[in-house]
Amino acid sequence: MTALYLYGITRPRRLPKRLAEKGVFLVRRGELAAIVSEVDASPVEASRRNLLAHADVVEELHAGATVLPARFGIVVPDRAALRELLLVDDLDRLLEEHRDTAELTLKASYDESVLSEVGAGLGRLRDAYARAPTLENGMALGEAVADALARRRERDAELIVRTLRPLAIDVRAGDPVGEHGLVNLAFLVDRRKVDAFSERLDKLGAQLSPPARFKLVGPLPPYSFVDLETPVAA
Amino acid sequence: MAVMQRESASNYVTRAPRSNGLADVLEILLDRGLVIDAYVRVSLVGIELLTVDLRVVVASVDTYLRFAEAVNRLDLRASDDSKSVPDLLEKGGEDMGEKAGKGAVEGGMDAIKEKIGLGKRGGDDDEDEDDDRGRQRQRSRSGSDDDK
Repeated sequence: MTALYLYGITRPRRLPKRLAEKGVFLVRRGELAAIVSEVDASPVEASRRNLLAHADVVEELHAGATVLPARFGIVVPDRAALRELLLVDDLDRLLEEHRDTAELTLKASYDESVLSEVGAGLGRLRDAYARAPTLENGMALGEAVADALARRRERDAELIVRTLRPLAIDVRAGDPVGEHGLVNLAFLVDRRKVDAFSERLDKLGAQLSPPARFKLVGPLPPYSFVDLETPVAA
Repeated sequence: MAVMQRESASNYVTRAPRSNGLADVLEILLDRGLVIDAYVRVSLVGIELLTVDLRVVVASVDTYLRFAEAVNRLDLRASDDSKSVPDLLEKGGEDMGEKAGKGAVEGGMDAIKEKIGLGKRGGDDDEDEDDDRGRQRQRSRSGSDDDK
């Protein structure tokens, strides 16, 4: 038995040939359309391949239309259930809201040299560890380094947000990834401001010491900004 | 002028127009995105494996010890440049002690790791992760830890 895998919601339109050939199609209801493909009714595996396939579909469609990307792993039994899903009031409002928006994700991390910078003020603990690298001395030094790194991160993250926020409609912060992680942000921007945002980021890179490495991905569909205001209860 | 500035500054920024790796999509697809609970059935397998691998918890014994080691290493490297001959001679004895000590720390670390259940992890199918983490993993593998 098959079911329908939901990639997202969009306005009715003709799908790009590449996606149609992969078995992606739309199920319409009025001015709303669900982007789906057939899957076996068994659970969807959160594999690298499946996750990237989901991103590929919504990102391709986002390039030429408004898409509300669905969370990964939503499976609907059949077309009737899908059409019912399209009755949710907020969908139309969200599609209007995101007509000209895009998400830019920004991750930044420090070079390892940040440790020697934040460790500069920890002479006594460092000397103790260099003299006797015991577990106890290592923990004391390491914990102090982690604290100093957290303060540095907080300061720099604040600068990054303060610099870029004026160019965005909204921002959402996630947890920085990795031990030298600095920020993990998602910005909602007007599609016409993507270039301006990117240029502002260039200037920011050189302002941080030690230099942070940034990764900017987008313009993406608004993954982080499609929460329904009133969660639908059964 | 503006072009020059942009070129030099962009050393710090990597850009991609679309998601191109697992690290890019993991969070936005699993934690975010539209959910309409009442009408749909979310059915998934395999999430735990993926998320555990990518979300690094900073406040761990392992991390503290690695930070300490890194600060010490970077510090030694910086002071290497300015060493005079007497310093080098004096340092000789310390180095020996340090090596022995380091072994002890690593031994301690493994014991702790075992206690709190931080073991080595197997296959990682993600290619675009920081090679940083790869290096760390190799470092801890080169230690004397045995599988339970």
